[in-house]
Amino acid sequence: MIQSVLDAISLGGLYSLAALGLGLVFGVMRLVNFAHAELITIAAYTLVLTTQYPLLVSISFALIVTAFIALLMEFTIYRRLRGVNPAIMLIASFGLSTVLQRLYELMFGALPKSAVVAPFLRGDFKFFGVSITISSVITIVLTITILLLMGYIVEKTSLGLQLRAASADFKTARLLGVRSNRLIGAAFALSGVLATFVALILVIQNPQVSPYYGLNITILSLVGIVIGGIASLRGAAMGGFIVGVVLSALNTLLGNGRVYAYSWLFILVLIILLVRPGGLLSKGSELERV
Amino acid sequence: MALLEVTNLFAGYGKVEVISGISFNLESGKSIGIVGPNGVGKSTLLQAIAGSISTKTGTVTFDGKKITGKKPEDIVRLGLCLVPEGRQIFSGLSVKENLALGLTGRQNKKGAKEIVSKMHDLFPVLSTHENHQAGMLSGGQQQQLAIARALISEPKVLLLDEPSLGLSPTVITDVFDRLKEIINLGTSVVIVEQRANLVTTFAEQTIVIRDGKVQATLTPADAANSDSLQRSYFGAGK
Repeated sequence: MIQSVLDAISLGGLYSLAALGLGLVFGVMRLVNFAHAELITIAAYTLVLTTQYPLLVSISFALIVTAFIALLMEFTIYRRLRGVNPAIMLIASFGLSTVLQRLYELMFGALPKSAVVAPFLRGDFKFFGVSITISSVITIVLTITILLLMGYIVEKTSLGLQLRAASADFKTARLLGVRSNRLIGAAFALSGVLATFVALILVIQNPQVSPYYGLNITILSLVGIVIGGIASLRGAAMGGFIVGVVLSALNTLLGNGRVYAYSWLFILVLIILLVRPGGLLSKGSELERV
Repeated sequence: MALLEVTNLFAGYGKVEVISGISFNLESGKSIGIVGPNGVGKSTLLQAIAGSISTKTGTVTFDGKKITGKKPEDIVRLGLCLVPEGRQIFSGLSVKENLALGLTGRQNKKGAKEIVSKMHDLFPVLSTHENHQAGMLSGGQQQQLAIARALISEPKVLLLDEPSLGLSPTVITDVFDRLKEIINLGTSVVIVEQRANLVTTFAEQTIVIRDGKVQATLTPADAANSDSLQRSYFGAGK
């Protein structure tokens, strides 16, 4: 039971990080970046291909590579599409996602690359007689640390204030002096950093990295963003967390019927959207008097 | 040389041309009003000057530098700030955070505390509601916040788009009293308004726009002559 609760929290936290990465970019560009999945994938490849180095060096490599790819995406593709219809941006992100998947296939092969990342985090320990996996505890600690750090950046720094303002109204933010290129670049770089930590947690649990490695979590995180409230970073993080927890709970509760977990999850999503079309945080967070 | 020179400016949205060859000059420490019926291009003109929409031809020169084609975030750093129509405050952020955003456009990063405190003196209501969500302020308070937020960048020219929109007459008087104080402190103001009488009385010079062009130039003396005002506003014969 305790392990199930920990699994649910750690999966929720993981999805929360992925959703936050997507939400940051959506906030400033109104872009649902499907190619975020490929950021997670490249981070995971970097981690499994650099296991000969100490873990911190390997993570640093992954952070640099992923943030660089994220910035490259923004500079080469999305910057040129700024201001166009969001549907065109969405299609472009699908296209970019597919191109990167093929590129990874060419570079790393279609078969999964595998290496044990952080072997000391595998296995379990006893806590009051209950067996608990080390990875689930590490995932929770890492997720909480990163979420707190992101919370600090978003709520307490000038960059965070500019991100929140730009998410609400980019045009007005620019009129006040918010530098669009710099802010969007920062959002992409941060989304790359978050993608790296998502990849790190994923490869600790499943080190079989294929060109589609980041796809599943990205799609489910997008669902989280929609139910949390697409325009708010808090909503994105909360929605991602809910999806992770519910999915984990469904997998536990459904037993042999777990193949239907996604179906039940999407039924729940539909109900939430019917009751609160703007997402769970769409009302109450931004009160308006006039 | 005028502080702000708008010369033969054409701008619009896509293929639709909204303003067609507008020119005017604004001297330092002065105010200019822009009036005209709905949809004639008043807001488009301000947005084109502030860099929010691209211009087709013509030039905008500010403080001796050509700013046509520059990004809005660069223009505000030069000292020209727009308070857009509908105030556009960040309703989900606190009053304090809205004001802090105004600091982004300051060329000089020193003196931030002093300028915020100056805004609290100029708009005391903002210090009372400092930690409140901006969306909870009344219309008049929001307008004061929008103006204070722009003034924090210490602009040489403040562009105001319909500051009286949605406000009661008493609140409008209050807002315009504050604007007089701002002009007295040395900031030049370009003010777009639907209320021709109000702005003609307020500004040293008022231009009337119709069909995207300057139709007339009025002085405060014209405010008393309602026939002349109506003719300029609606065109001859109306």
